[in-house]
Amino acid sequence: MEKIFLLTVLLAATAACVRPPADDPKHIVVWEQEDAQVAPYIDSVFRAFEKLPGNEGVTITRTHYQTEDLRQQFQAASLAGVPPDLLLGPSDTAGLYAISGFIIPLDGMFDFSKFNKQVVDAISLDGHIWGVPVSNGNHLLLFYNKKFIKDAPKSTGDLFSFCDKNSGEDKLESCMAFDSGEPFWLMPWLGAFGGWPIDGRKPTLDTQAMRDALNFYLYLKYDKKYIPMECDYNCMDSLFKENKTAFIINGDWAISGYQKQLGRNFGIGLIPKLSQTGRWPTPMVSGKYFTVSAGVGPEKMEIIKRLLNFYTDYDNQVRQYKELTRLPALKAAAAAPEITSDPVARVSMEEIRKGRPMPMATEMRAIWDSARNYMGLATTRKMDVDTAVRRMQANAVKKIQEMDR
Amino acid sequence: MDILRSVYQVAGFIVLISLGVAVLEGYFYYHFKYYARSWFFPAALTVFPLLALAGYYGVTWEHPLRVWAYFVAAEALVCAAFRNIVKGRNTLPYLLLAPAFVGLALLLVYPFMFEVYLSFHDLKLTTIMMWKNTGHIPFVGLRQYWNVFTTSPLSEVSFWALVGRTLVWTFSNVFFHVLGGFALALLLNNSIRFKGVYRTLLVIPWAMPQVVAVLAMRGEFHATNGFVNIVLGRIAAAFPFLAHLGVGPVQWLSDYPLLTCTIINVWLGIPFMMVVILGGLQSISSSYYDAADIDGASYFQKLRYITVPLIRPVLMPALTLGTVWTFNNINVIYLVTGQAGGTEQADILVSALYKAAFTYNRYSYSAAFAIVVFAMLFFISVFYLHGFDAAKDER
Amino acid sequence: MTEKEKRILKRRLKFLLIHVAIVVAAAVCVYPLLRIFSVSLRPGDKLFSTDLSIIPPNATFKAYSDLLKHTLFLRWMWNSLVITLATSVIGVSLASTAAYAFSRFRFPGKKAGLILLLSSQMIPAGMLILPLFLMIMKLRLMNTYLGMIIAYSVSSLPFSIWILKGYYDTIPRSLEEAALVDGTSQVGAFWRIILPLSTPALSIAFLFNFTTAWNEYLVARVVLFSSQQYTWTLGLFELQGQYITQWGMFAAGSMLVTIPVLAVFLYSSKWLISGLTLGSVKG
Repeated sequence: MEKIFLLTVLLAATAACVRPPADDPKHIVVWEQEDAQVAPYIDSVFRAFEKLPGNEGVTITRTHYQTEDLRQQFQAASLAGVPPDLLLGPSDTAGLYAISGFIIPLDGMFDFSKFNKQVVDAISLDGHIWGVPVSNGNHLLLFYNKKFIKDAPKSTGDLFSFCDKNSGEDKLESCMAFDSGEPFWLMPWLGAFGGWPIDGRKPTLDTQAMRDALNFYLYLKYDKKYIPMECDYNCMDSLFKENKTAFIINGDWAISGYQKQLGRNFGIGLIPKLSQTGRWPTPMVSGKYFTVSAGVGPEKMEIIKRLLNFYTDYDNQVRQYKELTRLPALKAAAAAPEITSDPVARVSMEEIRKGRPMPMATEMRAIWDSARNYMGLATTRKMDVDTAVRRMQANAVKKIQEMDR
Repeated sequence: MDILRSVYQVAGFIVLISLGVAVLEGYFYYHFKYYARSWFFPAALTVFPLLALAGYYGVTWEHPLRVWAYFVAAEALVCAAFRNIVKGRNTLPYLLLAPAFVGLALLLVYPFMFEVYLSFHDLKLTTIMMWKNTGHIPFVGLRQYWNVFTTSPLSEVSFWALVGRTLVWTFSNVFFHVLGGFALALLLNNSIRFKGVYRTLLVIPWAMPQVVAVLAMRGEFHATNGFVNIVLGRIAAAFPFLAHLGVGPVQWLSDYPLLTCTIINVWLGIPFMMVVILGGLQSISSSYYDAADIDGASYFQKLRYITVPLIRPVLMPALTLGTVWTFNNINVIYLVTGQAGGTEQADILVSALYKAAFTYNRYSYSAAFAIVVFAMLFFISVFYLHGFDAAKDER
Repeated sequence: MTEKEKRILKRRLKFLLIHVAIVVAAAVCVYPLLRIFSVSLRPGDKLFSTDLSIIPPNATFKAYSDLLKHTLFLRWMWNSLVITLATSVIGVSLASTAAYAFSRFRFPGKKAGLILLLSSQMIPAGMLILPLFLMIMKLRLMNTYLGMIIAYSVSSLPFSIWILKGYYDTIPRSLEEAALVDGTSQVGAFWRIILPLSTPALSIAFLFNFTTAWNEYLVARVVLFSSQQYTWTLGLFELQGQYITQWGMFAAGSMLVTIPVLAVFLYSSKWLISGLTLGSVKG
């Protein structure tokens, strides 16, 4: 039994030899939630930065997480005192981190006037700017298949008359497809009817515009059968890729995939003007941002500043467009000839101008949730539109109160 | 080379953990052997906490005065327990159980206590920074529990309705698991050819990684591209009279999300029950059936009076476990109704709980919720086990 | 037709029906797997198709070659295998001894212990993430397999103990008693008599440990940070972004990871039926 004591001591000794890694200011940890094909581009920029003069010994590690995982892990890691230094992702979760104090405001540290105003607005909350934009967009657009139609329809009237002509011939499984379960896809239409889900920090869901938008869905789905009865992201994606639908409303992130899949038949246009009101739909516009976690030391902050300025400089912004078809957040790069000469980029830029910045407030979580639930009930005819809209608002208000409980 | 290194790695882990187990066993062995000696108490109180402290320091590199006090207190408790309760009896079984239970305690007790702590305090989005910086959050007593019972985590369904829905979900799942498993086991229990092949094919839903299996099944329930609807559509087209009766494609995911989840979960769970029941069937001696044959019993009589009662002792534990697993099953619902949160029509207690915890960051509320869920399951299981004991006494 | 012929015919008919029923059930079980296979062969990352054939038009193995060439998939599978094997060995050993104590001894706290095992399954697993994370950070177990192996082997203990206890209960005590009379110690009797007789249950416990560790996601997500060290579950989700998922590679990966589990199931299938005897709490 003496041996066991000896072993305990030995074990403790070996354990003691494993030194904890010190926090090295030259080692930067980045967590991201990007689509897989973006990873090589991100890495290439990081490697280029590490090779710049003055950056000897700087290393950058990138870790990928799924959207939900990233949120949970970042919160847990922040609580445990070992957060990553930078996050790269869309603006919607940033509000949450800003409220809980896990990320720091960046006003004054970067020159935000060089970026597109809308994309900066989408990362502003309570008078502070919380992230450095690396791309502009993340907005919905209309894509079409040139096999069926030569030019994008200008208005919903044009769109519907095309659909009426082509639905009887069994050519198309459905005329148009989009993710009819996600409220994100409802927002352009809501805007076209004159509504918006949030005003400052108050949900504004119980509006005539919301009623109209939901009725518009019902019209598309039941009266005209232009869109499939039930369609999520993968469903619309497959329909479009298999030439079974003429139109799809999807985000700018999908452009490169569709270009590859459809080749010459790929067409891109604005989401058509709503003939009923004569207004353009307003997709939510944001972008991808770097946010800086709280607790980054001053020495590391210097490197981070250089890194983010390098990441968003003219050359990298243009290259980002070429490789990922993501529009630059930098004003100067948006005017680059490589981008203005590209018809796809032109259309995408125009759509951004028609869109509105995505609100960053944490209240949006409750709004998304409530909207998703009642939109689902109303568009499957389990609840009439009027009740659904009233409860959508009431419930969003209730959820917001509960968040503080 | 990589392969060799990995073999070395596996072996290394096993050796390391065996060492840990050996240390543990040694620790308890000394207590069992010398607990009554007068020198033991002071010796143990100095030696063991110091050793533990050395280990703790080695791992965490923290100045450990407070931790040392904890260790001393823990050691005093252990010594007292050995002196007054255990008294050196039952050495062997306790030593056999020690590693498993110490492991369980390490993995589960701390997290459980943590949840209990949270449930009496108020940790949420706005207090999280305060907690991180000061280590303190407001104490709110039973308010979180009050919230669990009075406010619903969902918008259209009250808490108690949600409890009811969860119970329906659990019992319908378990019922069909047993029914399906029983039917398949009865079929397989005949002396037929290809039995081994069939058995292997039938356990595939269990053997497949669950994520993959659920995603695959979800695809089959898709409104236009899923196998189920394509087949339903073809049937309706081939037999128009059936179409009049309402047979035809169904919007599974938007109209009947919970039903879809149930079907998928039943599909996943049948193989396990089948295997358990088949094991039970094969252990029934054929003499019972022979005797019944002589009495001229029908097939269903034999089933009712021989098979079912004899299967029961095997089935009850499986039923208990199955109930607990189904009650807490988040995978299927999460993966089927969409990872963004989905609609609320398919939410059960646990999925609503995760939404509160992760979408709304209501940590304390969800901790209280989790403890309520735990208590419910505990109650149900005790009820089951009671039923099981009664069944045993009957025989 | 004589009475005997009639009986034979009836018997044949019955067996035919049994075969038909089982084949239908087996088809239901296997079909989704085949569909995943079909997605993995489909070009263009399409998850859905109205085409029901298993081999799609323009079938290609490109997803497989992409997966192996452009990602660390083999590495991830290998990591999973290392963790899984270590877990299974440790988990089964710990469970086999604990189950023996439950099966052969009477001691205070026995029933409480068994109920504790059951209650350990009752805590909603997702709620353990935050405390687990804090614990892992404190003990500096991040990015190491040691913590994961301990967590995995412990978390499947309750089920393994139940199976093994149930099986030990069916082994007559007289066998050990004979050995004890011959002067073998209790531990010796366990080692030389009970363990060899329990191969079926041990292999089922092994199987169970193997599949849980192989498919585990939550703990791995908390512990591992660098893609070199990922298990396949983490690696596979590397292919999934916020909107775009590379379904071809995802399906190809799913097929590849299913193979080892199926192999283990196939190997232990002869014990599957006899080994899975859940023990009672009271007994």
